[in-house]
Amino acid sequence: MSVAEAVTPAAVASEVRAVLPRPRMFSPRFLLSELMLIFGRRRNWAGLAVLAAIPVIIAVAVKFDPPSGGGGGPDFFAGITENGLFVALAALTVELPLFLPLAVAAISGDAIAGEANTGTLRYLLTTPVHRTRLLAVKYAAACIFAFASTLLVAGVGVLMGLILFGGGDMTLLSGRQIGFGEGVLRVLGVCAYLGICLCSMAAVGLFASSLTEQPIGAMIGTMIFTVASFILDNIPQIDWLHPYLLTHSWMNFGDLLRDPVNFTGLREGLLRAAAYAVVFATAAWARFGGKDVTS
Amino acid sequence: MTENRPKWLRWLVPAAAIVATTAGAAALTTAGADAAPRLPARTAAQLLVDLQTARVDGLSGMVAQRADLGLPSLPGLTGGGSSSDLSSLVAGTHTLRVWYSGPGSARVALLGTLGESDFITNGRDVWVWNSRDNTAVHSVRPEGTAPARKPDLTSVPKTPQEAADAALAAIDPTTVVTTAGPTKVAGRSAYELLLAPRDKASRIGQVTIAIDAERHVPLRVRVFARGAAEPAVEVAFTQVSFNRPGAEQFAFNPPPGAKVTDESAADLQKKADSAAKDLTAKDQAGKAGGEPVVLGDGWTSVLAAKLPAPTKDDQAAPPKDGQPNTIRPNTAAPKGPLGTANLLGLVGRLPAVSGSWGSGHLLTGALFSVLLTDDGRVFAGAVDPDRLYAAAADPKASAAALSAPAGK
Repeated sequence: MSVAEAVTPAAVASEVRAVLPRPRMFSPRFLLSELMLIFGRRRNWAGLAVLAAIPVIIAVAVKFDPPSGGGGGPDFFAGITENGLFVALAALTVELPLFLPLAVAAISGDAIAGEANTGTLRYLLTTPVHRTRLLAVKYAAACIFAFASTLLVAGVGVLMGLILFGGGDMTLLSGRQIGFGEGVLRVLGVCAYLGICLCSMAAVGLFASSLTEQPIGAMIGTMIFTVASFILDNIPQIDWLHPYLLTHSWMNFGDLLRDPVNFTGLREGLLRAAAYAVVFATAAWARFGGKDVTS
Repeated sequence: MTENRPKWLRWLVPAAAIVATTAGAAALTTAGADAAPRLPARTAAQLLVDLQTARVDGLSGMVAQRADLGLPSLPGLTGGGSSSDLSSLVAGTHTLRVWYSGPGSARVALLGTLGESDFITNGRDVWVWNSRDNTAVHSVRPEGTAPARKPDLTSVPKTPQEAADAALAAIDPTTVVTTAGPTKVAGRSAYELLLAPRDKASRIGQVTIAIDAERHVPLRVRVFARGAAEPAVEVAFTQVSFNRPGAEQFAFNPPPGAKVTDESAADLQKKADSAAKDLTAKDQAGKAGGEPVVLGDGWTSVLAAKLPAPTKDDQAAPPKDGQPNTIRPNTAAPKGPLGTANLLGLVGRLPAVSGSWGSGHLLTGALFSVLLTDDGRVFAGAVDPDRLYAAAADPKASAAALSAPAGK
């Protein structure tokens, strides 16, 4: 008894720390469970199916009614009959203004607000996991989803294109031709670039998600921010604002399809994406770290 | 909350992130622009000689081109940065990539969003590629002639070299030539040559040419309207390297599936001739119009011509080029050749003016004015409208324009 009485609170704390498993800095388990949650949801399956349907529709439509030669029409459509890889590029270009951002907004907007809305956030926070780590895992999962959805669209596009139109040499925007292997690499590069752009948008979604307990509000807010950015970017009278817009350099992925590759445009886009990601991720951290979680 | 720090302290982190990213972006965009380099003084004459004797084996770089001619907003022309169409260069901001390796090897690529136009000369072969239309125009230069100017390139200069040549051609006793302090363009030290018209009636206030201190190549050309702080036309390198680009930059084989148009040397010569005519004769409209007359000289010269009367064979030889006529009917209008009737309809929408010389319509841009009188005369020049009215009122000038051979 006397021994127990002599125990100081500090000694108890150190005792407890020795007994409990030390929280690891990098444990894939939390991230994996988050990914299982995202990729296991039926609504997300439905969203991914819609994303994958677009390249299928494009490929089939072009197969049945090939565009007459001499260009025109939406970007990259004229090249589809020459090379199946253009199905992927056409699909990415078509989905970039709305579908891809919508998918990323749905996931990132749901990240915190979704848990708060279903009342699971406070239980999540009772586990010995730091809030910063929770936020980092949520953001990482949203980024993985962004890359996955971009690769899904491109992958289905390449597959449909190869089945219906075949591969072969690819004509770049500069009118030069490159081999099929390099063409696939360039399409992968486009996916990586667009994935990074969407990650910067996911940071905006994460911040919006930390502001509210209504996931739908965070999603709509993120979409409004993105679409407004696209709209403002098309008004020439406010060109002083354009360099500060989230989506200003998204279409720069075309610089990967020039010969030689225009790294100036790509670098500008990557820096812009990094700036947005840093600002909004730290804003989400500031908001979430100091937030009173009541639900 | 167990934390004893105030919550608002956390917001300093995103605030610092905003400050850091904007400061970083500002540092990247204005890198080296603020620090004026120290260079030994050089007179205007020395700079002119430098320019003329500049020998460049090869260069490559990025060029930003900006034109704000103060024209009314024109559908199809004011495409801004998104258009890769060469004719869109008269308005908005554009990015070009340039490769040069001797007179026979040059490539200019106009970058648009998901599009590109390339202009390539390789030996005697000249290619114009347009990714949006998937077309390639091939022509072979006749032997022994200077590179022909492609007619479909607009008269707005595309490279600093080209622009400087055009500006230097205008140097004569009508021009004040001075120099400005050293400056930095594309991270390189440069001298700046200032050309200003002596005649205050000119709409052009100043032309500045930044010349590389080491290589004597024009790096930036700006054209200012009189009294304007912002240039109306600016062509500047944003990146430049004097390493000779490889031969592969100048090779071009049209990709399969592209529409290839072959122009024979004779065709090209004919087109170049007619383009040259169009450039000097802004309102040359085939056989029906009078030969244009240039009144005065230097910066304030006024071009006088007679518009062709509307005839049945309107469609033949629509006027091309020349600033006033680059205005196309609205997109809603049928896409046909710009006949005289169409042109007159368009003229009716310009502000009406009248004076002792009669009445007509006036088009004014930042750098030029054009007067179209109701009796079918046209006066154009880089001058204020008053100068055009004076020309219109001058019976000698009018007589010259009106009595010009009808060409039939």
